[in-house]
This record gives sequence, C-alpha cells and structure tokens, in this order.
Amino acid sequence: MIDIKENKLARSKQRKQAIAFAIFRVLSYSIVAILFIILTFIIMKGVKVINWNFITQMPEEGMTKGGIYPAIIGTLCLVAGSMIFAFPIGVLAAIYMNEYVKDGIAKKIIKQMTNNLAGIPSIVFGLFGMSLFVNKLHFGDSILAGSLTLGLLALPVVIRTTEEALKAVDNTFRQASLGLGATKWQTTRRVVLPISFPNIITGLILAIGRVSGETAPILFTVAAYFLPKLPTSIFDQAMALPYHLYVISTSGTNIEESRPIAYGTAMVLIIIVLIANLLANGLRKYFGNKVKMN
Amino acid sequence: MTHLDIELQHLKAETIKMWTLVNLQLNKGKESLIKLDKDLAREVILSERRVNAYELKLDRDCENIFALFNPVAVDLRFVLAVLKINNNLERTGDIVEGIAKFVLNVDHTFDKQVLEITRVVEMYLATNNMMETVLEAFDKEDTSLARKVFQQDELVDEINVNANKIVADYIRSHPDNVEGALYLLSIIRKLERVGDQAKNMAEEIIFYIEAKVLKHRSKVEKSN
Amino acid sequence: MYKIESKNVDFFYGTSQALKNINIAIMQNTVTALIGPSGCGKSTYLRLFNRMNDLIGNTKLTGQILIDGEDIYAKGVNVDSLRKNVGMVFQKPNPFPKTIFENVAYGLRVNGVTDKKLIEERVETSIKQVVLWDEVKDKLKKSAFELSGGQQQRLCIARALAIQPSVILMDEPTSALDPISTSKVEELIYELKSKYTIVIVTHNMQQAGRVSDTTAFFYMGELIEYDNTKTIFTNPKIERTQNYITGRFG
Repeated sequence: MIDIKENKLARSKQRKQAIAFAIFRVLSYSIVAILFIILTFIIMKGVKVINWNFITQMPEEGMTKGGIYPAIIGTLCLVAGSMIFAFPIGVLAAIYMNEYVKDGIAKKIIKQMTNNLAGIPSIVFGLFGMSLFVNKLHFGDSILAGSLTLGLLALPVVIRTTEEALKAVDNTFRQASLGLGATKWQTTRRVVLPISFPNIITGLILAIGRVSGETAPILFTVAAYFLPKLPTSIFDQAMALPYHLYVISTSGTNIEESRPIAYGTAMVLIIIVLIANLLANGLRKYFGNKVKMN
Repeated sequence: MTHLDIELQHLKAETIKMWTLVNLQLNKGKESLIKLDKDLAREVILSERRVNAYELKLDRDCENIFALFNPVAVDLRFVLAVLKINNNLERTGDIVEGIAKFVLNVDHTFDKQVLEITRVVEMYLATNNMMETVLEAFDKEDTSLARKVFQQDELVDEINVNANKIVADYIRSHPDNVEGALYLLSIIRKLERVGDQAKNMAEEIIFYIEAKVLKHRSKVEKSN
Repeated sequence: MYKIESKNVDFFYGTSQALKNINIAIMQNTVTALIGPSGCGKSTYLRLFNRMNDLIGNTKLTGQILIDGEDIYAKGVNVDSLRKNVGMVFQKPNPFPKTIFENVAYGLRVNGVTDKKLIEERVETSIKQVVLWDEVKDKLKKSAFELSGGQQQRLCIARALAIQPSVILMDEPTSALDPISTSKVEELIYELKSKYTIVIVTHNMQQAGRVSDTTAFFYMGELIEYDNTKTIFTNPKIERTQNYITGRFG
C-alpha cells in the first residue's frame, strides 16, 4: 500500500519538475531568440553599407553616401574621456567605501546615494551636464563637457562593479596582510587590488559598453549632426554614433536614402559593444589565470 | 623525534635509573648479609627512601604521558609495562630493606654455618643475576634475554624448596640458634619473592614488545 | 616579568559581552592553549593580543592587555609595530596569491625592508625554520597555491616568522589539515617554543595536551581555569573543567 502511494507521489513530483524545466527552457530560448532576431534584423539591413570606406570616410552628399568615420572617432573620444574621468574616481571611491569606511549609518547613506545616482534618467544627466559644464563653466558644447557628463553617468556603474570585485576578495587575505603589520593602503595595493583586478577591468569594459550607446547625455553637451572636420581639441564639438543614428533616422536631409546608413551605424555601434564584452571576458580569463585564484 | 618520543625516552631512562639503584641495593644487601656488616645494612635502609621517591615520580610521569599524549599501540604497552615494573621495583626495594633490617638485628650468636648449608648466598647470587638480566632485557628491548630469567629462576626455586628441610634439620641439632635459623628462612622466602618480581618484570617486557601475555602460564610455555 | 598579561579584561560586541574579567599571565617561551566549546570567546580573546578586533566596528574593551609590560591599547601605540611583534596564523591556510618567495617576503617588504640580500636570507631562514626548505627550495618562484594544505600552513607560519616576532598567535592552525600535516605542525610548535611565546586556540583537546605548557579553559566568555597543562589534564581543580575535558558536556 505504502509503495503505491510513494510511487504516485514520486511521479507527481517528477511531472511538476518536468513542467517547470520546460517553461524555463522556453523562456531561455526566447531570450536568445529575441537577441538573435534583433541582430539579424540590423545586420540584414545594414550589412550592405558596411565596407572599409564606410568606416574610414567622411560623410558625403548630405549623409546619403560616404562613411561615418567622424562619428566613430567622436564616440571613441567620448568613451576615452568619460573613462579617464570615471575610472580613477570610481575605483578610488569604491576602495574607500569597501576598505575604509566602517559599517554604520554613514556607509548606508553613501551606498543609497550611489544607487540613486545610478537610477537617474540619462536625459537628466544631459540637462545637468549642459547646465554645469556647457553653460556655467563655459566649456561650451565640447568633448570635454560630453566626457564629463558621460563620466558622471558611468561613475555609479564603475563604483558598483568595483565594489563587488573588492567584496569578492576573501577577507582572510586582508587579515593576513594586516596581521603582518601592513597598513590598509598597503594591503589594498599589494593584495586586494591584484586579486580583484580582473573583475574591476570587467566592470570598466561594461561601463564602456554602456557609455558608447548613450544618446541623451551627449545631446546637450557635445553632439553635432555634421562637422566638416574632425575635432582637434577637447573644446571642440564632435559627432557620435548614437546621435548620428538618431538624426539620420528622424530629421536628416534625406531620410529615406540615408536609411541604410542608419542601419550601418547601428551595426557598428553593436559591434563596438560586442567587442567590448568579448574583450571583458578575454581579459578576465587572462588576468584570472595570472592571479591563480584557488 | 616527536615530543612523545622524547617523553618516552625520558621515562625509560628514569626507569633504568631506579632499576640500577634497586639492583645496587640488592647487591649491598647481599654483601651486608655475607659479612653481617651492620653499617652496610644501615646504608641500604637509608637509601630505600630514594627508591620510594623514584616510585612516586615514575607513577606521575606515566600518568602525565597518558593524560597528555593518549599513547596507543606499542607506546601504550610500554607505559603500561613501566607502570607495573615500577611497582615490582618498589616491592623489590622493600624486600631488600627487610633483609637489611634482619642483618641489623642479628646478634653475635648467629651461626654462619647456616648460611652455607642453606646455600642462601648462592640463591642471592642467582636473584642478583636475574635482576641484572631483566634490566638488560629492558634496556636492549631483548625478549630472548627476558625469557632467560625463567630458567634462572629454577635454581632459586630449588634452593627455596630444599630450605625448609635443611633449616628444620639444623634447628633440631642446634636448639640454641633457632631464632637465627628462622630469620634466615624468612630471608630465603624474601629472596624467592625477589625472583618472582624479576619474573613479573620479564613478563611485562615480553608483553610490551611482543604484545604477548605470558601471565598465568606454565613454566614451559614461558621459556619458549 | 610576564611576557603577556591580561588584567580584568572585559570585551563587548556592541551591547553583548563576549569576555568577562579575564586574568591571565603568560611566561616567555611557553605554549599556552586556549580551549573551550564553540563561542566561548577564546578566538575573540586571542585577537586582542594583536588588536585584530580593531577591524570590527562597535566593540569595547575594558581592562589592560600588556605585552612586555606595556599596555598595547594605550593611546599612541602604533598598531602596525605591534603586529610586527605579534604574528598570527589562521585557521584555514591563507597564503597570498603570489609566489612562495613573495609570500614569505611580504612582511619584510611592507615593513620597509628593501635590502635584497637581507630579504633572501630571512626568507630562507624562515622557510628552514618550518622544515619546508627542502620541499620548496627549487620552486620559490612558483605559486604558493601549488603546495598542499599542510605545506601552505607551514608557509604561512614561515611568513609570520620572517619579520621576527616575539609572540605567535595561532587560531586553530591545524583544524583544516590532515593528521600527518597536523602532527608536523605540532612538532613545529614544540620546537618554536624555545624562541617564541606561543598562544594557540584549539578545538582539539588532545592537541592542547600534546603541545602546550599551560592551558586556559574558557566557557561562555569566562575563564574557568588556567593552570599547567599537566594539572588540567590529570587533576583539574574545577568540576566544569573536568566535565569538558572528559567529554561529559559541550
């Protein structure tokens, strides 16, 4: 009697599990499918314009022909600029938060503020950047203003990922170091940072991926639709891929004819982000091996 | 060498020291009996205190080793053997003290002839031998040497068994020297017990080295 | 004079009292074992001697802790110097993810030693002290993680010895090791005794019997009994101590 009951119970459990797993599988595949669809769509529409010229030439004939070279350069400058600002400050802030501040109310408040900063809509960043950097500080629409604004946007990302990386370092290493008479900074520099370095770099590259695609912040602070020449200083304006894509698709001189270029731009942008992600993985593996974590 | 090894070595060294002292006492006792030397006898009685002190120390040392190291296998058997040998040695010391006390109390009427006819000196020499042999067996961890003791005991046995008749005959023919003769008989009994102690110690040695229990077995079994 | 003393020490984590009125005096060149059931405060007490509890917020200490006669919690005491003199070995072997050589050299480097020759000498001496030299002399540039657990722990001890402390604190140093490694470390402790003063927390009572000269029994934050190890293990004076040692509770 008991055996039969147990069998029934066992079978019903198995059935429930099978159903749950089936649902998970469908959902997972759907996500992959969605990504696949988006990529295919963009690639199909954009691949016909992609060639070496596209990447290296200036735009011609009102954006209907030619390349998007300046937009690529502009995006790269902005990414570099924002990281020069956000990376050191973000990492140091995370080190301070994680290694120096004792648990308590102050720490909780700072953490909450950081999270809030991360949640601010990017267009608000743009407005703020315009007010402060472009107007108040008289930088004007410039790579400088754009970099600083994007930097602010990226800052919470860098802080958070760096903090996670630092937290992941086993506390026993810190204790061993301090136990030998090292200061907190020596411990951070010689033990914690080398161990967390792979993950910090990953965070950096994810921030890069994020920043390259942001449109709203650069709207008010740096982006121009068309510049005849490449920027020569940080006080110049620049073109940028996301903005370029937006304008071409909505308000250019010849929307229909420029459409393929829009798709091409989108593809380049996606490729940049993909490369960034692949780089993140590769670097993490490389440094991970070097550090030889147990 | 581990900490425990050091402690075990120390224990063995201390045991040998006590044993050497007891053997020395036994010898002195023999000399004092042969020469009826009361001064020598007094020395033996005084030194008995040192034997007792050793016994207390060895007991405590064994207890400490058990408590601190939880010895197992041969180490455990060794400490158990030392604990018992310690006992045997202390009793041997007591026996020798008894012999020395007799020598102290004996008076000038004692007839040395009794010593000869009972072969007590021979017996004494035999027990000396046994104690020396067992000590060497302990030091060298040699079980065949330990087994020799059982053979050596045969002479001791023989003299002991014959002593009754010999002393009885002597008493009948020398009614004035009864006390002395009786004292001598008790010395012979004491010496026989020394032989027993030596045999016990030999059994303990064989136990700890071979993990073989020889207690309560026949003489033949023991010698093999 | 005593090497280490604690006088009327109370210790609090926030409002909860972890140690109550601990009075212990430890002589130089001895091994003292701290035993007691889990949570009795022995690890907390150990960490007072190198002020590792400073890393935890919201703690309070009353009473005095003296090393070489000086209060190590007095104002103006340089904690880094203290930790140079009082080394620590942890429960789970925790060599840095660096080479074997760099692990042992670490303490020297962070304390400002730059003389290459001196560093090499000290590293070799320390590794020899823990009887590891023959096993690693040909692979000093390899990662410390390639060593076995027992070797790693001995490496950690070498790392602590390299800066020449006078006191070594050990927090259950063998609980993560196999029996053979454990006995190697125990023999090491027995040998180090002649040069250092060692305080060791152990869950394993038999270990306390094997390695220590004096033993302190802690229970629920209180020091129940502190005496020669021989006495504690043959004839403890307090019944609770006897109950713990015989395994009749806790």
